[in-house]
This record gives sequence, structure tokens and C-alpha cells, in this order.
Amino acid sequence: MLRLISLLLPALIPSWRFFKTVAPSPRVEYRVYCSGQAGDWQEVDPRPMRVTIAQGLQRLVWNPHWNEQLFMVSCSERLIEVPTPHSFEMIARRVAAQLPDHVCELQFRLVFVSRVQEQIVKSVEYESAWVSLREWRA
Amino acid sequence: MTVMEVVRLTEVLLAAAVAQQSLEHLFAGHGRGLFGLRLVLCGCLAFGVGGAFAVWGLWGASLVMLWRFQGPYNGGSDKMTVLILSCLSLAHLAPSPYWAEMAVSYLAVQLVLSYFVSGWIKIINPEWQSGRALCDVFRFSAYPVSEGLRAWADQRAVLFAMSWAVMLLEVLFPLALLHPDALKLALVCTAAFHLSNAVCFGLNRFFWIWLCAYPSLIWFQDRIFGGPT
Repeated sequence: MLRLISLLLPALIPSWRFFKTVAPSPRVEYRVYCSGQAGDWQEVDPRPMRVTIAQGLQRLVWNPHWNEQLFMVSCSERLIEVPTPHSFEMIARRVAAQLPDHVCELQFRLVFVSRVQEQIVKSVEYESAWVSLREWRA
Repeated sequence: MTVMEVVRLTEVLLAAAVAQQSLEHLFAGHGRGLFGLRLVLCGCLAFGVGGAFAVWGLWGASLVMLWRFQGPYNGGSDKMTVLILSCLSLAHLAPSPYWAEMAVSYLAVQLVLSYFVSGWIKIINPEWQSGRALCDVFRFSAYPVSEGLRAWADQRAVLFAMSWAVMLLEVLFPLALLHPDALKLALVCTAAFHLSNAVCFGLNRFFWIWLCAYPSLIWFQDRIFGGPT
């Protein structure tokens, strides 16, 4: 009950501090284990090079994929700030859902992008253990 | 407008916004039961079926969502959804029109704060004052919807001007309460701001849900600053 109240209160008395600072920004990367070896790290949901104005307006009414990506950003930040099985599971399930059925194991990591003076730097802040996909798909 | 007319108008707008959210959740496979129910409740709310029970049902569904996602799924837009539903729920529970007015007034005040606080914390930040923060938003944050859009980070003068336009709009927003025409103009500007955020950063749910709160503020301005009726 206390947990539910703690989740509800920020909505009833919001802080409204949007973009107070531009914090390091997480990217989720994953790799799979196939044929006895680990594959290369790949970014989950890389952005397209271009989105037209028409596509942007269409996404005003229908944007489930992007909103799912934003939720992954929230889960990534939560996994660093207050690690919980929930955040881990949300990310792992999201990555697993994009993989073909023959993939048996995956690993993901969180790469945070930030600016240090004039340089854009990336640092790996979290790396999961290998996750067996059999139990996730059961 | 009477307070209950504002409540009704807000309910109709909210029904559309929450239905849009629910359809996206259903598409993403987040649970047919919860989001199917939410969709049915939106239909009831839009057509006035079930009265206050539709509002209370949607409020209960929001609690289940908060639990399911262990917080807001879509950040501020989910918080605003819960806030509006809470105020509407309280307006229906109110023992007298006075307390219904209090509930709607709270929503209106929070809407003003959503702009003012957001503008204030930016305007006191040197990174926002220099335009650097908005450059960073484009350069490396998770929000730009395409890699091409990141090139805007190099348009320092444009982003400097945009930063100040946004900060001044947000910080000066409360002054619009002084005149109904100023308020309407300010709401058009803030709606355009949300629209640009939706197109550039994919924040579509913010656009729709913030619009839902606008009738409460128009009513509030008239109630507090309007002449005698």
C-alpha cells in the first residue's frame, strides 16, 4: 500500500521539473549467443536517419513504438538509480521480443551518452548476465 | 461555463486522449484486460454512460498501471492523466459545487505550475541561458526522433533563440491569467509548443493530455479574474 501511495503522490503533487538538466542519456545495446559464441553488440531500436513532417504528424495520433522506446529509457535510468527486477525484466523482455525464435540467450548493456566539455562520451554503466530466452518465451 | 460543464468538457477530451493511449498499449501487447477495460470506460465517459463511475473506473485503472509499470509509463503525460482523473473524480465526489470548484481549480493551478516551474528551473540554469542545454537535447538526448534531427545541435543561434522563447513563454505564462484574450493566446502558443515537441521528440501523448486540462484554466481565469456575472 505504501508503495502504491509513493507511486501516486508524484502524480497528485507533480514537480514539473522538465529538462532541469540534460542528464546522460541511456542507449540499450544487446548481443546474442549463437553457435557457441557471443555476437557483436547492437543498439536496440536505432533511430532512422529521417522522419518527414508527414510522418511526424501521423505519429501525433499513433506512436506506440516510440513510446515503448521512451519507457525503455525510463527503465534504463531506474536500473542505474534504483535497480529492481522489474526494470531488468522490462528491458530484457523488450529486447527478447525483437529477436528470432532460434536465439536462445541474450545479454544487454546500458551505454550512457553525455557531454564532457566539448566531447561526446559514452560509458557502459550496466551489463547484464546472460539471459536464457526459454523461460521468457514460456 | 459552470464548473460541471467544465468537468463534462474535460471528460470528453480526456476520453479521447486516454482511448488513444489505450490503443497504443493494446498494440504494444501490454495486457488486453486492463487496456481493453480502459477503452470501454473511455467510450462510457465520452457518451456519458455510467456517470461518475466511468471516471472512477479510469482512475482505478491508472493505479493498476502505476503498479504494473512501477511508475509512469510515459513520464509527465501519465502524471497529468492521473492528475486530471483525480480532480474529476473529486469533483464528482464533492458534497457541494464549492468543493467541485476546488477540485477543478487545483487542476488549473497545476497546469499553470507545469509551465511556470518548468520555465523557472530552466531560466536559473546557466546551461539553458546560453542555449547549451537545448543543443545537448538535440545532440545526445534520447528524444530526437531521427539522427538527421541531431544536426540541429549545430544551429547554436537558432537554439539560443528557441531556448529563450520557450523559457519566457513558460515563465510568463501565469501573467496570461490577467486577461481572457491573453490566456487564449498563451494557450495557443503552449499548444504549438507541445505540437513541436510531439513532431521533434515524439511526445505525442503530452500534446493531447495537456489540451485536456485547458478548459479548467479558461474556467478558472473567468472565475477568479472575470467580472461579476
